[in-house]
Amino acid sequence: MSTAATHALDIAGLNAGYGRFDVIRDIALRVGKGEAVGLLGPNGAGKTTVLRSVMGLIRQRRGTIRVAGTDVVAMAPFRIARGLAAMAPEGRRLFLDQTVEDNLLLGGLHLRRDAARQERLLASVYELFPVLKGYRRRLSAALSGGEQQMVAIGRMLMSDPEIMLLDEPSVALSPVAVDIVVRALIELRKRGASILLVEQRIDVATRVCDRLYIMTHGEVVEEMTPDTARGAGMSLINKYLG
Amino acid sequence: MLQFVASGIAIGCVYGMIGMALAITFYVTRIINFAQGQLMMVTVMVTAEVTGLGYSAWLGVVAGLACSCIIGVLSYLIAVRPILAFNRFGFGWLVSTLGFAVMVENGAAWLWGPTSIPFPTILNNTSVHFGEAAVLTGQQILAIATALIAAVVFEVVRKRTLFGKIGMATAADPEMASAFGVNTTTVAIVAFAASALLAGLAGVMIGPSTFANPYLGDTFGTYGFIAMMIGGGTERPVAALYGGILLGLSAEGANALINSRASDWFPFLVLALILVVSPRGLFSSQSPLMRRRVAAAAR
Ligand SMILES: Nc1ncnc2c1ncn2[C@@H]1O[C@H](COP(=O)(O)OP(=O)(O)OP(=O)(O)O)[C@@H](O)[C@H]1O
Ligand SMILES: [Mg+2]
Repeated sequence: MSTAATHALDIAGLNAGYGRFDVIRDIALRVGKGEAVGLLGPNGAGKTTVLRSVMGLIRQRRGTIRVAGTDVVAMAPFRIARGLAAMAPEGRRLFLDQTVEDNLLLGGLHLRRDAARQERLLASVYELFPVLKGYRRRLSAALSGGEQQMVAIGRMLMSDPEIMLLDEPSVALSPVAVDIVVRALIELRKRGASILLVEQRIDVATRVCDRLYIMTHGEVVEEMTPDTARGAGMSLINKYLG
Repeated sequence: MLQFVASGIAIGCVYGMIGMALAITFYVTRIINFAQGQLMMVTVMVTAEVTGLGYSAWLGVVAGLACSCIIGVLSYLIAVRPILAFNRFGFGWLVSTLGFAVMVENGAAWLWGPTSIPFPTILNNTSVHFGEAAVLTGQQILAIATALIAAVVFEVVRKRTLFGKIGMATAADPEMASAFGVNTTTVAIVAFAASALLAGLAGVMIGPSTFANPYLGDTFGTYGFIAMMIGGGTERPVAALYGGILLGLSAEGANALINSRASDWFPFLVLALILVVSPRGLFSSQSPLMRRRVAAAAR
């Protein structure tokens, strides 16, 4: 087995953007199998663009993006979605006119002929977020923000992906809801998931992650441990995130 | 009195089917296929041709519907997909689908000449009496039944099957649908085939009374568009059927109660009035009529 295959996600020399400009340049980052890695940075740094590139949602991308050893840089999103990568996107973007359970099932389309595996995944989502089980037949539009974020994370889990991409899951949530999301992510890590977590809240990222990257102006500028980040505290915020 | 209501509903169901056909492709791709009327015409012409060659009407209908489906899918691959790939939010499709309509229409006129050719009568020579009040041909009854069945089938597929749910997800957020494994091109191809099938069925219903003419698509495409707009089919494809029935009723009503020319302008007046009162159509989820129901359903 090559060394690349031991990483859940291995990005090297990635440039991507919209229209005439590349908004991220020469990105290199790695997420080991079973590792949780944070990607922090101010508004407009290009964090979402990195995640969207991995998912194949940005056509204008060059470099290498390996998911569990497979280069996905030229693949269509619907192929990448078949067990390689899955995301809980910025703004949640649930299918609001459909029920909670239908949203979850739409997350695992490529497993639709493997009913047993789909049942297990569904059960594990309800185990992670017990409230959702009671709401399974509700329209997802009728849920609170925190509950919608749980559905977004659950939908991501349903494809049993090699790498999980989360884009600011804490945004616009109450402190209680943030805590539920953080606990769920810690639980996922315990279950062996590989996670790339985009965050603006350092406290959330340090509680969940093994390692952190800092991004500004389209480039990864620093890599550190959660302890260093906690130690640096306000000075880190002032330097990069303010 | 009852007579114009009955025949209004019948012709309205034909307009409604074309409206639903427009709405189904709009639902999935957010574009209006201005070649929809021409897709209806293709079924009519091919059915007439095959029957004229001496084969049975049913074989003609099947061949006609198949041709419409094929050309419908082609309209997507040629006139829609490349345009949307270039700019998903532009209006290039307006020109390209109109251009496709012109091509199909001129192709048909070149093949069959500009004059009408006979169409099989199907059920047009049978009639059903509703007491003293109204008479409908078997063909008109068939049109109503077909439209209702099509609407029910569409809703059942949309709400109860996985493919329908995939279609709803694609309609709501195509990018997220693709991020969860949906091949949105396949979904669009199926939607265009289904919508061509529906337009073709409308053609089979109306053919016995209009005969087969290459320019049929213009009028019926326009009426189908109005049906979709007043019904609010851009948000709920089935609403286009209600719009079609309303349109048929107002055209036949104007004919019976004002004079025989009124059916040319009265429906447009109705359209304008409805769009002033409810810009998104009478039966859309945003209309004053429906808002309360939607709120109740969400609870
Ligand atoms: N669809 C788009 N078209 C053009 N430019 C875009 C588009 N989306 C993002 N950008 C630009 O790309 C840059 C990076 O955006 P991105 O969304 O990746 O930042 P981000 O780090 O996720 O920010 P935030 O924390 O606000 O979500 C920004 O300057 C933004 O203006
Ligand atoms: Mg972002």
